[in-house]
Amino acid sequence: MAVPSTQQVLDVLGHIQDPDLGRDVVSLGMIKELEVNAQGKVSFTFELTTPACPVRDRFKSQAQDLVGDIPGVTGVEVRMTANVRQAFMRPKPSEILPGVKQTIAVASGKGGVGKSTVAVNLAAALRKSGAEVGLLDADIYGPSVPAMTGSRSVPEQVNGRLQPIEAHGLKLMSFGHIYPGDQPTIYRGPMVGKAIEAMMVQVDWGRLDYLVIDLPPGTGDASLTLAQAIPITGVAIVCTPQDVATDIAIKALQMFRKLNVTPLGLIENMSWYICPSCGHRHEIFSHGGAEAAAKRLGVPFLGAIPLEEGIREDADAGTPVVISRPDSPGAKAFEHIASQVAARTSIQSFRQLPVINVH
Amino acid sequence: MAIEWEDGRSSTYTGEQLRWACPCAECRGEAGAPGRLARVKSLSPDELRIRDVTLIGQYALQIAFDSGHATGLYTFSYLRGLGA
Repeated sequence: MAVPSTQQVLDVLGHIQDPDLGRDVVSLGMIKELEVNAQGKVSFTFELTTPACPVRDRFKSQAQDLVGDIPGVTGVEVRMTANVRQAFMRPKPSEILPGVKQTIAVASGKGGVGKSTVAVNLAAALRKSGAEVGLLDADIYGPSVPAMTGSRSVPEQVNGRLQPIEAHGLKLMSFGHIYPGDQPTIYRGPMVGKAIEAMMVQVDWGRLDYLVIDLPPGTGDASLTLAQAIPITGVAIVCTPQDVATDIAIKALQMFRKLNVTPLGLIENMSWYICPSCGHRHEIFSHGGAEAAAKRLGVPFLGAIPLEEGIREDADAGTPVVISRPDSPGAKAFEHIASQVAARTSIQSFRQLPVINVH
Repeated sequence: MAIEWEDGRSSTYTGEQLRWACPCAECRGEAGAPGRLARVKSLSPDELRIRDVTLIGQYALQIAFDSGHATGLYTFSYLRGLGA
C-alpha cells in the first residue's frame, strides 16, 4: 500500500482544535519535524505552548488516533514537547526582564485571602510541569515568600546584579531576602515603586518561561508601578467566597482592566473545608462567590482551592503543598489552576500590541 | 507618529496635535486650577517636535518632546479617540 504524504498527515492533524486558542494545531505551528518513512511509520513533534497544558493527553491521543487511521500508516510516534512563547509577539524583548517570556501577576485587592500561598503554589505547579519559573514577591511591607519557600538566605551580588535565591527549583526574590529579620520596611509610596523596579532590573532573572509576581493588597503604588514598568501578560485575581472579599477583588480586576492588563481569571481560595473528624463539608466563608463574580464580569473562573490545614502547615514549614503533598485535594486544585492559568497565558502569546512608528 | 491598532485600523498624529492634547496635570490643570495649555496661546517649535516615545506597560505611551516635556501619559484609548 502507498505511504501517505506529509500533507495528508497535516490535513488530518488540522482537525485538532486548540480549545483555548480557538484555532487548529497545524496553523498554530505546533506540529514539527514531521516524517513519514518508507514503511509508513509517521513521527512528529507536537510542540505545546506550555508544559502545563490542560489538554496535553487529549492532544496526544487525538493525534495518534487521527494519524493511525490514515490508510498506509503502520505506526505513529508523537513526541510531546512544550515551548512557552514570548507574550504579545513582540519584535524585540523588553529592556526590563529581557529573558522572561511571560509575566503573571497574582493580585487580590483585599489582604488575607491567601494571595501569597496561591502565588507560591502556582509557581511550584508550573515548575513541576517542566517550565522555568521565577517568583517575585512584590509585597515590600509584608513579604511572605521567604517563609513559605523555606528560603532565608541573603542574595549574592555578581557583577553588580543580585542573584535570585533558588529553592524548590524556583528562582525567588523578595524584600524579605534582601532585608531579613524582624525589622520593618518603613517606606512611603514612591519608594515602594522604586523597590519593585529594582527587583526587576537589578536581579539577574536569566531565562524564564514564567515570572509569577505576588502583589501586595491594594490598588496603589505596587500594582501601578508594575503595570507601568512591564507589559504584564495577565493577572490572576484571588479572593475568598464571601461578598466582602469578592467586592474588593472586583476593584482590583477593574484597575488592571483600566491599565489594559488582561485578567486571566478569578481564583476562589478557602472555598470549602472537610472536617477531618466527621468528614462533613463546611463552607466557612460561603462558596461559589468567585465563580458568580467571574460570570458577572465576563472573565474565566480558574478554580477553587479548599481550606486545608496541610496547605497552611506546609507554607509555614517552607514547602509548597504541591510539592510536599502532591496527592492532597489542595495540591490537585493548585495544579488544575496552574494549567488553567498557563492556557490563558498562552492566548496572550498570539496577541499583537499596537505598533507605534515615529517619523 | 503613526499607530497600527490591534484590530488593523491605523491612526496618524502630528507632534503639534499631541502636544496640545497632553494629558498631564501641569498642562491640563489640577484641583480646579487651569493648566498651562489653557493659559498660553502658542508654543515654540521645540515644544511641538516629538523626541521619543516610550511604552508604559501596555496601556499608554509616554511622549517626550524636544523641549524636554515628557510628563504626559497618553493612554491607548485616549490616543484612539484623538486619532483620525
